[in-house]
Amino acid sequence: MKLGVYIHIPFCRRKCLYCDFSSSADEIERYQESYITALSREITGRGGVLSGYTVDSVYFGGGTPTVLQAEALGKILARLSDYTSIEADVEITVEANPDTVDGEKLSALRMSGVNRISFGVQSFTDEVLKAAGRIHSAEGAKSAVWQANASGFDNVSLDLMYGLPKQSAASFRSGLNEALKLPVRHLSVYGLKVEDNTPFGKMAAEGRLVLPEEEEEDAMYQDAVRILPQRGFERYEISNYALPGYESRHNLKYWRYQPYLGLGVAAHSFMHNRRAANTRSLAQYLKLTEQEVLPVVEEERVSEGQAMAEFAFLALRTKAGLRYQDFNHCFGTDFLSHYGPVVETMTAKGAVIADTKGIRLTDRGMKYGNVVFAAFLPE
Amino acid sequence: MNTANIRNFSIIAHIDHGKSTLADRLLEYTGTLSSREMEDQVLDQMELERERGITIKAQSVRLDYKAKDGQMYMLNLIDTPGHVDFTYEVSRSLAACEGALLVVDAAQGIEAQTLANVYLALEHDLEIIPVINKIDLPSADPERVKQEIEDVIGLDTSDAVLASAKTGIGVEEILEAIVRKVPAPKGDANAPLRALIFDSHFDPYKGVIVYVRVMDGVIKPGMKIKMMATDKRFEVNEAGVFRPYLATVDELRPGQVGFFAASIKNVKDTRVGDTVTDGESSVTEPLPGYRKVTPMVYCGLYPVESSEYDTLRDALEKLQLNDASLVFEPETSVALGFGFRCGFLGLLHMDVIQERLEREYNLALITTAPNVIYMVHKTDGEVLRIDNPSHLPTPQEIEHIEEPYVKATIIVPNEFVGSVMELSQEKRGEYQDMKYLDTTRVMLTYHLPLSEIIYDYFDRLKSSTRGYASLDYELIGYKTSQLVKLDILLNGAPVDALSVIVHQDRAQYRGRLLAEKLRGIIPRQMFEIPIQAAIGNKVIARETVRAMRKDVLAKCYGGDITRKRKLLEKQKEGKKRMKQVGNVEVPQEAFMAILKMD
Repeated sequence: MKLGVYIHIPFCRRKCLYCDFSSSADEIERYQESYITALSREITGRGGVLSGYTVDSVYFGGGTPTVLQAEALGKILARLSDYTSIEADVEITVEANPDTVDGEKLSALRMSGVNRISFGVQSFTDEVLKAAGRIHSAEGAKSAVWQANASGFDNVSLDLMYGLPKQSAASFRSGLNEALKLPVRHLSVYGLKVEDNTPFGKMAAEGRLVLPEEEEEDAMYQDAVRILPQRGFERYEISNYALPGYESRHNLKYWRYQPYLGLGVAAHSFMHNRRAANTRSLAQYLKLTEQEVLPVVEEERVSEGQAMAEFAFLALRTKAGLRYQDFNHCFGTDFLSHYGPVVETMTAKGAVIADTKGIRLTDRGMKYGNVVFAAFLPE
Repeated sequence: MNTANIRNFSIIAHIDHGKSTLADRLLEYTGTLSSREMEDQVLDQMELERERGITIKAQSVRLDYKAKDGQMYMLNLIDTPGHVDFTYEVSRSLAACEGALLVVDAAQGIEAQTLANVYLALEHDLEIIPVINKIDLPSADPERVKQEIEDVIGLDTSDAVLASAKTGIGVEEILEAIVRKVPAPKGDANAPLRALIFDSHFDPYKGVIVYVRVMDGVIKPGMKIKMMATDKRFEVNEAGVFRPYLATVDELRPGQVGFFAASIKNVKDTRVGDTVTDGESSVTEPLPGYRKVTPMVYCGLYPVESSEYDTLRDALEKLQLNDASLVFEPETSVALGFGFRCGFLGLLHMDVIQERLEREYNLALITTAPNVIYMVHKTDGEVLRIDNPSHLPTPQEIEHIEEPYVKATIIVPNEFVGSVMELSQEKRGEYQDMKYLDTTRVMLTYHLPLSEIIYDYFDRLKSSTRGYASLDYELIGYKTSQLVKLDILLNGAPVDALSVIVHQDRAQYRGRLLAEKLRGIIPRQMFEIPIQAAIGNKVIARETVRAMRKDVLAKCYGGDITRKRKLLEKQKEGKKRMKQVGNVEVPQEAFMAILKMD
C-alpha cells in the first residue's frame, strides 16, 4: 500500500495577513531544534503504521519549511526511511517562501532528496505583496525560481492568489504572464478567502479591508481559467494547473481518497477510514512527543454516508472527476442508485456532466464547486 | 336549582378592552376558583390565545353567586371569540344567552368590532348591561364613552357600571346587575328536548364534548338524542357543567348551560348552531339561526420536506377534530409537490392554524398567498367555484368572473377620514355611508372586495390611521369584476404556486411589484434567473437575479477534509428551507411575497 506523508513546519519569518495556518513568526530560533527532535519522536511512535506502507510522496508544508536548515529536512527524511521504504521515484515537495532560499540552500535541499519546490509567490505586484504582508518582492520571487531551476529543480510550482487588496484584473493578468515566463511546471491559483482569525478577518470586521469588486475578482478568475490552459497548463483540479506529467502527486492523494499520514503540529491524517488531527499547539506537541505519546487530539471515524460524500466531492475537484467504477469498488454500492437525484439536479443546473463512465464538473460547476459538493452530503 | 335563579350571559368587548381580565375577576369574586387555582386569564386556554390576547374558541363557566337578596344564583358565562372571522360562532353563543355585558374601554370608546357584536346581541333581544372598564386609567373619560354608547347604540347608560377589572372596582355591581337585569331563561322541562350547540371540543377518551344551552326538556345520561341538521343519532353517556373544569351532573335542565358526551367520534356531527333533540322526538322545528359554516379564505399548505406530507395530513386531521370550520383536501402543485388546499373562516383563523401546525406538530410549512373563492362563469354555461388561482380556466373559456364582496364598517377619528376614503377607493371600495358617532369619531361604511381585505387592506388601514381605526365586515354576496390571472415565471417556467387573481387595472402594478419583491427574496444561484410577471402570454414585468459569486473552497489545508466537510455541511444547512422549483431554489417566504408588498 502506498502512503503520502505530510510534514508540517509551523514556523514563518512573518505571518501573512490572510493566513490562519498553524504557524508562528517568532519561535523559529527557540524551538526549531526541539521541533526536529519531536518530529523524529513522532515518526518513531508511528513506526508500526509506517512499516505497513511504502511512501511515494512526502510534502513539507507550513508555515515556511524553508526557514529550517536543509539538513534538518534531510534528517527527517532519513528518520522516515528508518521505518518505511521510500519509493525510488518518490515526490518530495517543500513549500518555500522566495525570501528564505538562496542558491546554496536550494542546492542543499536538492541534495537531501527534495525534488519538487512550491513557491508561495502569490503576486508579481509589489504593492499587492506588501498589502498582504508578504516579505518578498516580485523580483525576489523571480530570482528564487531561476535559482531553483539552476540548482537542479525541474519541478517548480508557484502559488498565485487573486482577489487580494490593491489587486486589479490587469495586474493579475500580467502576473500570470510573468509566471509563464519562468521555468515552472505547476501553478496553484487560489482566490483569497478572508478567515475570521486572521489580521484580514479583523480588518474586514472593522470595515478596513478593501477588496476588489466582485466583477474585478471574477475577471481574474476567468483569466486564470482561460489563459493557463492556452499555455499548456491543464486545469487538472479546481485550483491547480500543470504541464502534462507534473500534476502534484501529493495533492491528488487527497482528491482520490488515498491514505496519508500527517506529522507535526496541526497535521492531518487519513487512514483506514479514520481522520485524525494533531494538536495545534506547539507547546503541547513538544510535551506529548517528549512523553512518547502520539500528539493526536481529534480523531473521527468517517461514517459511510460521510465517506461517500467526501469521496464524491473530492473526486469532483479534479478534471477527471469521479469514475463510477472507483466509487462502486470503494463502497460496494452503485453510485447512481445512491446519488441519482443529486446528479440529475446538478446536471439540470448545468454544473455536472455525466456519461457512462462517470461524472465531472462543468466550468460552471468548478466555479460553484461548494454548491455541488454540499448536495452530496448526507441529510 | 330553580330556573328563575339562572342567568346566562356573555361579554362583548373589543380586543384589549379587558374582557378576559373581567372574566377572571368574576371567577375569583364568586369563589369559582380559589386564588391559588387562578392562573391569569383562565378562559383563554390555548397558549396562542394568551399570547395574542384573543379568544379563539368559546369557553363557558358556571359561577355560583349569593346575591344581596340572599338567594343563590347560577350564572353561566359564555365567553365568545372576539374576531370577525368567528362572527357566526359569536351569534350562536349570544343565542344561548339572555343577556350580555358590553365592556367598553373608558379611554378608547366603542370600536367597530364591539358595535357589530352589540348589534348581533340586540338582534337576539339580549338585555345589555354597559360596563365602562379601565376607569382607573388617567385618560379615562367615562362620561364621553357613556354618551357615545347612547348616541351610537341607543342604550340607556344611566345604570352603566363603572369598573376596573384590573383593580376589582365594580365587580360586585356587575354581578348584581346581571342578577337584577338579565331575564331568567324560560323553558319547559316536560316538553321534548331542544338544546342549542354553541361549541364543542374533542376529548380523546370521551369523544366530542358538546357545549349546549338547553331550551326545553332535559339531557341526561342514557337518553337517545338526534342532531337535527345532520340527522346523526347518539346515546348520551355523560352530562355536566363547566366549573370551569368539566363536572358531571345528573341532568341538564331548561335554561342551563353545560355539556354532554355521547361517544361522538367526529366533531363534524356536532355543528355549531345545530339543535339537539331526543332520538324519537316529535320536534320538527329546529332552533333558528343555524347555517353551515363555509370557509371564506383558502391557501395551499405544503411541507418543506416532502417526507412530512403524512405528518401534515395527520396534524390537519387532529386539528379538525376540534375545529369543524377547517376544511382541507389534497392538492398537487408542480412547484411545491404534494400538499393541501385549506379553507379558513378568515385570516386570523388561517394564521392560528398555521401557527399551531408549526408549533404543536413541529412542521416546517410553505404557505401560498391566501385567496377568496371566485365564481367563474364559463362561456359554455358551466359555473366553477375556484379556490386556487392556478385552476382558473383560460381567458377564452371565461364569460365572466364574480368575487365576494363585504360590507365593511370602519370607525376612525375624524382626522383620518380622508386617508381611509383614499385607501378604500384604491381598494375598489364603493362608498355607502358616513356617520359621526360623536364630535371626533366617524363611522364609515364601504362595500369592498373581500380579496382586498385579505390582501393588505387591514394593515394599510392600521398604518394610515396610526392604529386608531377599527374594522368589521360581513359578507354581502358576489359581484362581477374584471379579474385576470397573474402568473410568475422563474427561469422561463411558470410557477403555479405563485399565480394570483387580481383586478385587471391593478395587474400591471402588482406584477411589477411582485417581480421586484421576488428579486429580493430569491438568492443568487449558479446561473442568472429571469423573473417575469405575465398575464396570459403577455409579459408585463421582468427582473433578473444575477448569477452568484464564485463559491468554491480552494485550499485543502494540508489534508484537513473534516473542516472542509463541516463548512459544506453548514452551507447545506442554510439551504434546507429552500424549495427546488425547476432548476431554481426558492425560499419559503417567496410564496407569501404577494401578501407583503409595502
